[in-house]
Amino acid sequence: MLIAEAVGQQYRETGWFGVLFTAILVSFLLINIQRAKMGKNLYIRRIAGLNAIDEAIGRATEMGRPVLMVPGLSDNVNAIAVQAINIFAYVSRLAARFANPILLCCYNAAVFTLAQEVIRDVYQEEGLLDRFDPDSVRFVSDRQFAFAAGVSGLILREQTAATFFLGEFYAEALIFAETANSIGAIQVASSTEATQTPFFIAACDYVLIGDEFYAASAYLTRQPVLVGSLVGQDWSKLLVIALIVFGTIFNTITVQSKTTKAWDDDNGVYKDVSERQNDPKQSFIQQLATPFLPKMEVERPKDPEAEANK
Amino acid sequence: MNLILQSKVPNFWAQPFNSQGLWMGVIGGLIVGILLFLGLMFMPAQFRRPVVTFCTFIGGAYWVLLYIFPAPIDLQKTEMPTGPVESIGKWLTDANPVVVSISGTVTAFMLGLGIFSLLSIHLKRISRRQKDWVYSVVLLVSLVSMTFFGYADYISRQGPEGTKLDLQANWGLVNYGRDLLFDGLLQQMDAAMFSVIAFYILSAAYRAFRIRSVEATILLSTALLVILSLMGAVAFIWNGSVQHLANGNDFLLNFQLTEIAGWIRRTFETSSLRGIAFGVGIGALAMGLRIWLSLERTGGGA
Repeated sequence: MLIAEAVGQQYRETGWFGVLFTAILVSFLLINIQRAKMGKNLYIRRIAGLNAIDEAIGRATEMGRPVLMVPGLSDNVNAIAVQAINIFAYVSRLAARFANPILLCCYNAAVFTLAQEVIRDVYQEEGLLDRFDPDSVRFVSDRQFAFAAGVSGLILREQTAATFFLGEFYAEALIFAETANSIGAIQVASSTEATQTPFFIAACDYVLIGDEFYAASAYLTRQPVLVGSLVGQDWSKLLVIALIVFGTIFNTITVQSKTTKAWDDDNGVYKDVSERQNDPKQSFIQQLATPFLPKMEVERPKDPEAEANK
Repeated sequence: MNLILQSKVPNFWAQPFNSQGLWMGVIGGLIVGILLFLGLMFMPAQFRRPVVTFCTFIGGAYWVLLYIFPAPIDLQKTEMPTGPVESIGKWLTDANPVVVSISGTVTAFMLGLGIFSLLSIHLKRISRRQKDWVYSVVLLVSLVSMTFFGYADYISRQGPEGTKLDLQANWGLVNYGRDLLFDGLLQQMDAAMFSVIAFYILSAAYRAFRIRSVEATILLSTALLVILSLMGAVAFIWNGSVQHLANGNDFLLNFQLTEIAGWIRRTFETSSLRGIAFGVGIGALAMGLRIWLSLERTGGGA
């Protein structure tokens, strides 16, 4: 086998490190899912934002006003949208028990279809299908600000008592949060976009930060698979932390041990500069994670048909 | 997919235009799709889950393989793979536009369902004369007119005559209609919604920065420093004063406003954001794995 075949185009920059690392993370997740399935009691810390869900629905029930949910602006059904819908399934289940109206606004048609099926199933499982209004799950628009305007209008017209913004949010995050705040709705929010999290923190009552969003369904439902997966995520984070520490130490060693003379223009003298400043590829951790394989020339036979069509 | 299909170099996934292989593929795909659709419709509920699980696994396995399996290095269109590893790698790479296209086609059907939902809600509201039904009329008129003018404009721009429409003098009714609806109204309303954020930032910042606790005070102080560092005149006066007072003392130069703000960004902001990004990334990986292996039970019981 040629070296080029074994390495592959996509490994030129990351080598095998990326795949190996992913494989370790996947094994952590699967091992812990198995542990949880075998009945091992796994601990999950308290998350205030998730405890607030019950409080928010209770408040909406007391006020007799709807609960509004938005599963973000995912362009398609992806892990983030599915996770958001999982949390909304829990919210809808509680709302169904208390006969509380719900509104679930979707930005993407595929997410809308999935959400409608899931929410209908939830009502069916609760034996309350007669309470399910198919129009409560609705597609609003797949243009960002048209969606923002549509949802804001709904919040104001329906005077929602509780709002849940969970998923991928961008610039419209603050429009939603401030509109809901203006009518005094209790808000639980989370954005997987780190740039929008500060806006939610400023405007919402409870915010799930970072991976708390992914911990939500495990925390709420306590399904063994989800709890095991959550513990696997914690193991993965410990590995990442260990790598950061390891990388810091090795980078420091490389930086201090390898120095070179460089001309200092400001002071007009030669001074010691670490080699890493001149060439980032010199550090050990850089070479491990991003080996930058040299360009390879591979001799291949020509395709006569393609040659003729060229 | 279109680009691949139009290319003259055939591969397993992209047969030449109008070739027998392409038609066989299209008809075969159609038959499989219809059979799967009918099968899922009439299948008892308990058998549906394994079919969905199988399809999810196959769909996910493609992306996993595409990520892991070595793709041929610098393989040109006129070259043939050298061995089985390169052949499989090429096969997977060639399939990419087709798989993306299948996903796009399914999504297009979903869009139809989305529009059906919109029509259902708003037609019901209009027929029952519910509160604010006039807005529903506006929405439906906008939907129909934008679709009509958008599509008619697109059609008019196809073919060799289409380039003439780059000049406004050659425009017809549909082109003016699309321009008015899309550039004249929709884009402007989008911009108006976006600009509203500026006012919301102010009101949210006011609430967030009120001094209520130690944390809020720290937040206020750091935010104030960063905001001031971005104000040219303030930064100029502050930095100038520090440089004057420092009088060549390198340590005191660290107290320049831009240095403090830079330190806050590099030390606290970047590290916090990276921490969050690691958590989100691992969470997404776990979620993706659970969906791929059908370990996730969507809508799980409370």
